[in-house]
Amino acid sequence: MGNNNENRQFDAIVIGSGMSGGWAAKEFCEKGLKTLVLERGRDVKHLKDYPTTNMNPWEFKHRGRIPYEIEKDNPVISKCYAFKEDAMHFFVKDNEHPYVQEKPFDWIRGYQVGGKSIMWARQTQRWSNFDFEGPARDGFAVDWPIRYNDIADWYSYVEKFAGISGNKDGIDTLPDGEFLPADDLTCVETYFKEQVAKKYTDRHVIYARCAHLTKPNDIHLQQGRGQCQKRNLCQRGCPFGGYYNSNSTTIPWAEKTGNLTLRTHSVVHSIIYDDQKQKATGVRVVDANTKETLEFFAPVIFVNAAAYNTNLILLNSTSNRFPNGLGNDSGVLGKYVAFHNYRARVSAKYDGMLDSITDGRRPTSAYIPRFRNVYKQETDFLRGYAMTFSASRGTKQNNDGFGNDLKTKLLAEPEFGPWYVGAGMMGETIPKETNFVTLDPVKKDEWGIPLLKISIDYDDNDEKMIQDFFKELTTMFTDAGFIDIKTSDSKQAPGLDIHEMGGVRMGNDPKTSMLNKWHQLHACKNVFVTDGASMTSTSTQNPSLTYMAFTARAANYAVEQLKKGTL
Amino acid sequence: MNRRTALKNCFIVTAGVAFIPSCMQEKSKSSLLLKNIKISSEQEQLMADLSDTIIPTTDTPGAKDVGAHLFALMMIDECYQPDEQKKFMSGMEAFQNLTKKKFDKSFSKLTPQQRTELLTELEAKKDEKDNEVVAFYKVAKGMTLQAFTGSQYYLTKVRVYEMAPGRFHGCVPVKAAKA
Repeated sequence: MGNNNENRQFDAIVIGSGMSGGWAAKEFCEKGLKTLVLERGRDVKHLKDYPTTNMNPWEFKHRGRIPYEIEKDNPVISKCYAFKEDAMHFFVKDNEHPYVQEKPFDWIRGYQVGGKSIMWARQTQRWSNFDFEGPARDGFAVDWPIRYNDIADWYSYVEKFAGISGNKDGIDTLPDGEFLPADDLTCVETYFKEQVAKKYTDRHVIYARCAHLTKPNDIHLQQGRGQCQKRNLCQRGCPFGGYYNSNSTTIPWAEKTGNLTLRTHSVVHSIIYDDQKQKATGVRVVDANTKETLEFFAPVIFVNAAAYNTNLILLNSTSNRFPNGLGNDSGVLGKYVAFHNYRARVSAKYDGMLDSITDGRRPTSAYIPRFRNVYKQETDFLRGYAMTFSASRGTKQNNDGFGNDLKTKLLAEPEFGPWYVGAGMMGETIPKETNFVTLDPVKKDEWGIPLLKISIDYDDNDEKMIQDFFKELTTMFTDAGFIDIKTSDSKQAPGLDIHEMGGVRMGNDPKTSMLNKWHQLHACKNVFVTDGASMTSTSTQNPSLTYMAFTARAANYAVEQLKKGTL
Repeated sequence: MNRRTALKNCFIVTAGVAFIPSCMQEKSKSSLLLKNIKISSEQEQLMADLSDTIIPTTDTPGAKDVGAHLFALMMIDECYQPDEQKKFMSGMEAFQNLTKKKFDKSFSKLTPQQRTELLTELEAKKDEKDNEVVAFYKVAKGMTLQAFTGSQYYLTKVRVYEMAPGRFHGCVPVKAAKA
């Protein structure tokens, strides 16, 4: 690596190979651009580098549990639901890349080719105009410079290629897309859907759309992917390519063109700005193995390092023209970051439908789109929440006693317990200037780059929303005849939702935003940001699908502009 | 007895289950290398006999055959916090003392009737808090259950684990479902 023969000049540079970087790579390579993808971590090849994917439960030494030694050394990442023995090798350990928590923030990261697209929860709900028009209507953040119509075709474009399973539900708040067949709802999910429909016209219980090949099309077979086998072991990487990740889909597709150079172990230090040319000319990289500093050049640069690392790179890209970070004339870089409020849950039991059960496994759940403050403001808090919803039955095992008596019970046919139902809140949070990330003035990481300092907290709006969710869901569950209804607030710090967004927000006005409607820095047009950092507001829906659509749209725009010579 | 001797004994115990078909052998059996807790060979034997009393070998494999006590000790050594490990160890000593006091013998020398008597008594007290013998017994039993129901034997012969079911039916009659 880093030898003198290494090519340093490309047509495009993409920083990051995850959810959005993979799409930039695919679009550029398909259009004939010699593309360099810089990945700070190691390579993870589809199939080959999923070491646990075919392991049986008994083959895990600790049966999935994280040894205390690791848990003790990693208080942050150990909080993540997917950080278990089978997938812990895909997560960044606490000491591998420290950061400063001015307020508690659990920063969950995956540094490898594919990034977090390997371990994501694969939920792919479109955003609607109720989301894109939100800030303007409700007077927070700044107006999005785009609307649903700008992005609708690009949603279709990425859905067809990635493979999204879902139903056409015809709901205003959750536009329909290009769907592969949906899986079933469970008996009690269907029952609840009917109960809710009897009482409300604006509340819907639907199948949660997800990035799974329930029935692959030709394009998916061409990618070498096959049908989802309902293993529900997705976080390990899938031997069938049954769900979407960069490793199985966009990166190999880009590689096939012969136009991709994928450089791993390449930690981006900063983007190089040329004061004479008045544009960015390349990227400064620290080779993680040799610690050598290298420079790579291209006329267009896409920053897809995952939201906060994208902020970090821009903040660290200083020059005479941009002493406060690349493109940061407005001073808003790093500010107005937000996330999803995942603290609250309502659970219950249902004693009906005990003659029925589910069979097999399902890689998703049911979903209740946002119904609060949609058509008009109706509560004392802004915005609203969507919910995951699921109803399932487990086996009931009596473990009383010992000896032959106990053994007989263990060997007997299992009995099934009641239906357990649960709803998890996904609350929109309001981006604020007081929630920000910045560079620590003193502390640096092992690559000589300042540590990111994170200062983010909940506010009164979030607390009120949680109470409303508790009240509404308790009513809906009570009406459906569910029993033992319990509300719980995990009080988890921001970050554990793994939906951090903003800091490099889009907007029409360069005085109050960083990016224009094509995701170009207002003040440095050949640098694009299309990952979570670009989000002006958070919506309630899982954001990955929107990052993918944004990236494909912006990459195609960038190619057009390159051809026109305007970059 | 030092740890090396204890380990040697553990291999002998392991060899004792060689009659179990190879498909039922557990990988973790011969890898007992304790880093944090110190277990004497008597205590290891106690754990083996206790797990065998909880889920005995009959005409089908029991806890001993899936190496449950080795799994339990490894898990307590590697996954428990230091204060939980301390509690487990002092509970085990209290269990040993109780056995000596009651029967004037170690657990491993008790007759099946005496073992049953002792465990029946502990089961009856299972809701007692602050009883360290009961606390120890509950951890040992919990680990024995986890080792047994999470074993290759159990998940291939009793409740068959399907790695790739390839299907999801949202609502079927209970009898049609594979548990």
